[in-house]
Amino acid sequence: MIEIKYFGAVAEKTRCTFEKVLSSDISLQDLLQDLEEKYQLDSLAFSVAVNQKIIPKATDYKLKTSDVVALLPPFAGG
Amino acid sequence: MNASTRYNRQMILPEIGEKGQEKLAKAKVLVIGAGGLGAAVLPYLAAAGVGEIGIADHDVIEISNLQRQVIYTTAAVGKYKADESKLMLEALNPLVKVNSIAERLAAHNAISLFENYDIIVDATDSLAVKYLINDACLVTNKPMVYGSVFRFEGQVSVFNYKNGPTYRCLFPEENTFAENCNDAGVVGVSVGIIGLLQAGEVLKMILETGEVLSGKLLVYSILNNEQQKYDFEKNNDIRIDSLSFEEKYKIEEDNNEIEAERILNQIDLEDVLFLDVRNPDELPEIRMKNSILIPLTELEKELENLDPDKTIYIFCQSGMRSKLALEILLKKNFKKVKSIKGGAVVLNQLLKKEKALT
Repeated sequence: MIEIKYFGAVAEKTRCTFEKVLSSDISLQDLLQDLEEKYQLDSLAFSVAVNQKIIPKATDYKLKTSDVVALLPPFAGG
Repeated sequence: MNASTRYNRQMILPEIGEKGQEKLAKAKVLVIGAGGLGAAVLPYLAAAGVGEIGIADHDVIEISNLQRQVIYTTAAVGKYKADESKLMLEALNPLVKVNSIAERLAAHNAISLFENYDIIVDATDSLAVKYLINDACLVTNKPMVYGSVFRFEGQVSVFNYKNGPTYRCLFPEENTFAENCNDAGVVGVSVGIIGLLQAGEVLKMILETGEVLSGKLLVYSILNNEQQKYDFEKNNDIRIDSLSFEEKYKIEEDNNEIEAERILNQIDLEDVLFLDVRNPDELPEIRMKNSILIPLTELEKELENLDPDKTIYIFCQSGMRSKLALEILLKKNFKKVKSIKGGAVVLNQLLKKEKALT
């Protein structure tokens, strides 16, 4: 199970703050593409963290079952 | 007034002591934005004895600010936040020098302003201004204490600390939109908690104690009290110096904003287009003979439906999204575009007034 955490405006779209997906052998890029399609995130900017470390979205990374992915959009309120 | 009595409870901390208190007295901190975050940051910096505090904010206090901007009184509605917060801080601690700067932070004044301070606190509510602060901090080599809130969640980080990672390393996609408190809603404790975390980072940097949130994004949720720190690295491909800063912000200097009242007489003109970039369900609904509605998120897909020969006046609810739309159009070589100051709210008031007159 890969855990995905959502924050801010991204969580508004996904309507949950986290979910677990049963995927093995999926790359980070594919997972992001799936999520962007499923939740129509294309208009939102966000950074991506794997296991608490922010990495470029285009990073060639094969997700492992214990990984935690986080979608972090910038906030603007103050 | 005896400073050692005033600061006794913090001076007995081994991390502070007399030396630390001297460091605080010598420190100069600029807080940009005296709204919800600023209302939390400012009194704690002043109370702790930060020697010089600058407050940059061009807004006046509105009644709807008071549920979160707790340093203001109801009687101060209509007055400048920079001036009112200065009075509040001076009453709290007369040993502190407070500078009120009641002007809008922009590319033309940021650099000279930042040069007078050691630490810059971003307590603003706009992504565009956050990028501007970040870039000006890079040019002047100052650390930037970032704080931001979305409803019940907040983010805190420190950028450009000892040449560390910056806002652009964390969020490289500049031309995006995120709702601020006016659009998304917020409770006072959210901005209060995040503002206090920012004040904590400022004090740690001055006192050179603890671990500064450099290269780390702290995310806090009020709803479940969860907090996480995310590490991020410096992207050395991003370089901002005074030359590239000037180049980048030249457009802004040309002032692409326009007051709504100056263009009311152009509503029926054929070569003019009013572009509403709000979502269709946003009120007040504004329809004019030559207006068109394209939500900001759709704009890039719909560009071909816009005539680049026309003068285009863009508006949204408050004037934030229209600025982003403006940037998109300028990049696509639309030449005659302006963003309407104050957005639909101001425009609607003027239209109503005009209707009443005719």
